[in-house]
Amino acid sequence: MTDAVLENSPSLAKPRSDGSVFRFSTTEAMKHAVLIVGALIVLLPFYVMVSYSFKAPSEIMTQTGGFFGTQELFRDDFCVKLGNAAEDCMVRPIIYNYTTAFEKAPLLRYMMNGVIVTLSIFLIQVIVALPCAYALSKLRWWGRETVFALVLFCLLIPVHAIALPLYIMLSKVGLTNSYAALVIPWTISVFGIFLMRQFFMTVPDDLIDAARMDGMSEYSIIWNVMLPTAIPALLAFAIFSVVAHWNDYFWPRIVITGNRDLFTPPLGLREFKGDADGDNFGPMMATAVVIVTPLIVAFLIAQRRFIEGITLSGMK
Amino acid sequence: MVRSRAHIWFAGPAILLMFVILILPIFIAAGLSFTNYSLGNDGAQFVGLQNYERIFTRSTYEKMFIATFTYVGVVVPLTVGLGLGAALLINSVTRFGDIYKTIYFLPVMAALLAMAIVWEFALHPTIGIINATLTRGCGTFLEGWSWYAQGCERTFPLWLTDRDYAIWTVSFIGVWQGFGFNMVLYLAGLTSIPRELYHAAEMDGAKSGWDRFRLVTWPMLGPTTVFVVTISCIRSFQVFDTVEAFYPQGGGPGKSVFVMMFAIYEKAIQQNLMGIGAAITVVFLGFVMMLTLIQRWLVERRVHYT
Amino acid sequence: MAGLQLSNVTKSFGETPVLNSIDLSVTDGEFLTLVGPSGCGKSTLLRIIAGLESMDGGSLTIDDQDVSQVRAADRNLAMVFQSYALYPHLTVAENMMTPLKLRDLNWSERFPVMGPMLGRGKYRALMDQVRDTADILKITPLLDRKPGQMSGGQRQRAALGRAMVRNPVAFLMDEPLSNLDAALRVHMRSELADLHRSLGATFIYVTHDQAEALTMSDRMAVMMHGDILQLDTPHEIYTNPQHVDVASFVGSPKINLLPVDEGEGGRVSVLGITVAEAEGPVVQVGIRCEHLVISEAVKAHAWEAHVVHLENLGSDLFVHCAIAESDTRLIARTSPASRHFMGQTVYLKADPKAVLAFGKDGRRVPLTAVAQAEPKKTLRKRAAA
Repeated sequence: MTDAVLENSPSLAKPRSDGSVFRFSTTEAMKHAVLIVGALIVLLPFYVMVSYSFKAPSEIMTQTGGFFGTQELFRDDFCVKLGNAAEDCMVRPIIYNYTTAFEKAPLLRYMMNGVIVTLSIFLIQVIVALPCAYALSKLRWWGRETVFALVLFCLLIPVHAIALPLYIMLSKVGLTNSYAALVIPWTISVFGIFLMRQFFMTVPDDLIDAARMDGMSEYSIIWNVMLPTAIPALLAFAIFSVVAHWNDYFWPRIVITGNRDLFTPPLGLREFKGDADGDNFGPMMATAVVIVTPLIVAFLIAQRRFIEGITLSGMK
Repeated sequence: MVRSRAHIWFAGPAILLMFVILILPIFIAAGLSFTNYSLGNDGAQFVGLQNYERIFTRSTYEKMFIATFTYVGVVVPLTVGLGLGAALLINSVTRFGDIYKTIYFLPVMAALLAMAIVWEFALHPTIGIINATLTRGCGTFLEGWSWYAQGCERTFPLWLTDRDYAIWTVSFIGVWQGFGFNMVLYLAGLTSIPRELYHAAEMDGAKSGWDRFRLVTWPMLGPTTVFVVTISCIRSFQVFDTVEAFYPQGGGPGKSVFVMMFAIYEKAIQQNLMGIGAAITVVFLGFVMMLTLIQRWLVERRVHYT
Repeated sequence: MAGLQLSNVTKSFGETPVLNSIDLSVTDGEFLTLVGPSGCGKSTLLRIIAGLESMDGGSLTIDDQDVSQVRAADRNLAMVFQSYALYPHLTVAENMMTPLKLRDLNWSERFPVMGPMLGRGKYRALMDQVRDTADILKITPLLDRKPGQMSGGQRQRAALGRAMVRNPVAFLMDEPLSNLDAALRVHMRSELADLHRSLGATFIYVTHDQAEALTMSDRMAVMMHGDILQLDTPHEIYTNPQHVDVASFVGSPKINLLPVDEGEGGRVSVLGITVAEAEGPVVQVGIRCEHLVISEAVKAHAWEAHVVHLENLGSDLFVHCAIAESDTRLIARTSPASRHFMGQTVYLKADPKAVLAFGKDGRRVPLTAVAQAEPKKTLRKRAAA
């Protein structure tokens, strides 16, 4: 609509009937200029990450080679050290980087850990939160308001803050260095309870009463009636949870102290960096690319959902 | 609604977990903060307020507070301001808005640790792209700027390993990572502003963008701003990934980046001084609680207009 | 205060045309209403006058100055929005100060804290203006309240106050009474009319309620589908509609529309009863319910019908009748004292002077002879035959 007020330039020169006439105005151009500069700064590390994951060490040191690197064969010194002939050790940079990433750090293993941990966390969160949200919204019982107040109180507690005592408790029970340790502290998501409860409040009681009349138990009402209606909210929550836990570094760092097999992707990258003799920038960038890509791709595909999710999670 | 016993099974696990995982640890932390417990010991000795005394007097912890507050003091205003600015700009351009939105949100999605390592590489004093690009500008008009000329003469700053620049660089990375999140929150807030208010403002004579911003946009974004600032503060207090990745030992050059979360990590996990770690945790919790209460109070105050 | 001229104004939203070449002339100081069903383009036209929408073609002059390219803020018009659009975070006084501050204070004087200190004298003068306007509207006790703390009627007055406070050239009102409850609405109608009389300013008022238009305006423009069908005084619109759509839209209950028998040109008869003679081909006639005489006794030139519904409003009785052997229904107005009952056979006669004839395109066809004279002619003819 040609809303004259919200157009940025007061010079309404041409009548715009269907908005197809492109009006070039200086303020618009300046806005784009600022936004583009911002975009370049934001994208800089991504550019560096992707580009250097393609490049040979020499190109990395000298910042040459354009975006993709020239992809000239270079000599893999490590392979030579192992006793192979020089000619056998010529590799293409991109292949070298990515294969080293997957081999030197068992990247596949780390990715799998990430999937296992993230999925487990989310599933358990749903199993714990959904019934509780249902009870808080659709069942009447003594103490209901108190429990909800408890939920609201717990929303205030930043999980980072309680990491230390949790660590102590886990190590007393001997559970450090395990999947359990990675998953357990996150099983209770008060945010999930809150979100789902708000959502469930909007489901008409009649729907549930009808199900009860049909003879459904309360338990099956949750999974067969409430869950399907709550898919959008659940999706938003899923996104929030997956992103937070896939990227989480602090807690795994504390709780996984020796067993490299349990490293989540960020831990894996960190370990790789720690190991690296400062020369392995190529493979390190490649590792970073592999870790970061899944969520970015998912984000690009389902942008609106993501942003909805973050907004929902924001507007507590 | 039906009265049934089902609620015990439904809410029970959640309630139990809330106590065990969220509430109990707070008490444990509070309790431990008065001891000198170490993991592996059988018992703990009560030491009264000794840990707290240390925190508020020893210079290491003074640096901790300075680093933390510097970080928060830089990151929060910048992420909020840039988030708001980006939201306003994106909201007002007619094309490509979605593309900018996506780009600015990417850092939020990307694992901070991974991107931190990339930044570390980009900021490398010699082979990093930043200094390399800066060096390319040597010998041009940019040398008119004295800082730049100095950099060309000697070297450009070492950024992350430079005592003067470290905390600012880490803050910059924090801003880079966080402002997209605030941008999204502000964009949501902007869409909830009734358009008629802008029309009323126009009829009243508000001609410039600044008039419209002052009269309609900023006041209507009030609740959003309170929320954004609070969330940003809490997230900044919790910074850890970048600091640990860059400075595994020690918290930066001259402990200039010795933030609270890292202090907890170093004292409690690395040095096994649980008592002090717990005390820092309690202080941290105190800050967060205070911030949240302030937020609640501010929102309460403003809520009576619709 | 100024005269306003719209010439040849057109507007489309994308492919959909919304205004088709509108010409409208508003005299200084008059209360002009744009009335019509939803979607007829009246709000769009108002916003074009305000400058909040751009026009695709045509021009707008205020006081003989072409303002088509002037932005809304510079046109010195004031608008009262349907949703009032009061700034929620400001008190009523501050709301009313806003247009004054934006116009009369310069940049530095508007600054939040410094401003009032720098321009103290000016601020006081502006505040006096605000108080004077508040007195007129009787909202002085509300000056320190925020919109969220007031009722709908109070908010409406505050919105009016904000419009009035700077003496604009004309007042534009976009369905300002729609959000009020019925009783308040009726009360506010007379208040607005009083206000108009005391201010003497030009009011351009948009509504979908024909009763509001009839009772408040000096002139009203009935709009439909992007055209102004008729622009006239309320009385003319009611008694002399130039289009069947105008006749149907205005008046409650709706005018009785009857299809005309196929027949000899000139003579207009419905279901056998001749009602008038017209100057051109007639397709339907309209008869207002107060112009139908209903009686139990048989009458000449009356339709025989039976009562199917009664609406007793206390002051009037509306009798719905179905004409014998046809689908046509008529509503007649009569006094509640008359004794009518369901199923009763009645006879309805139209007042020939008040019959409105409409042609194929909906346009009004003027009448020539009065039907009263007819029967004598016909009888004589029959007698002669």
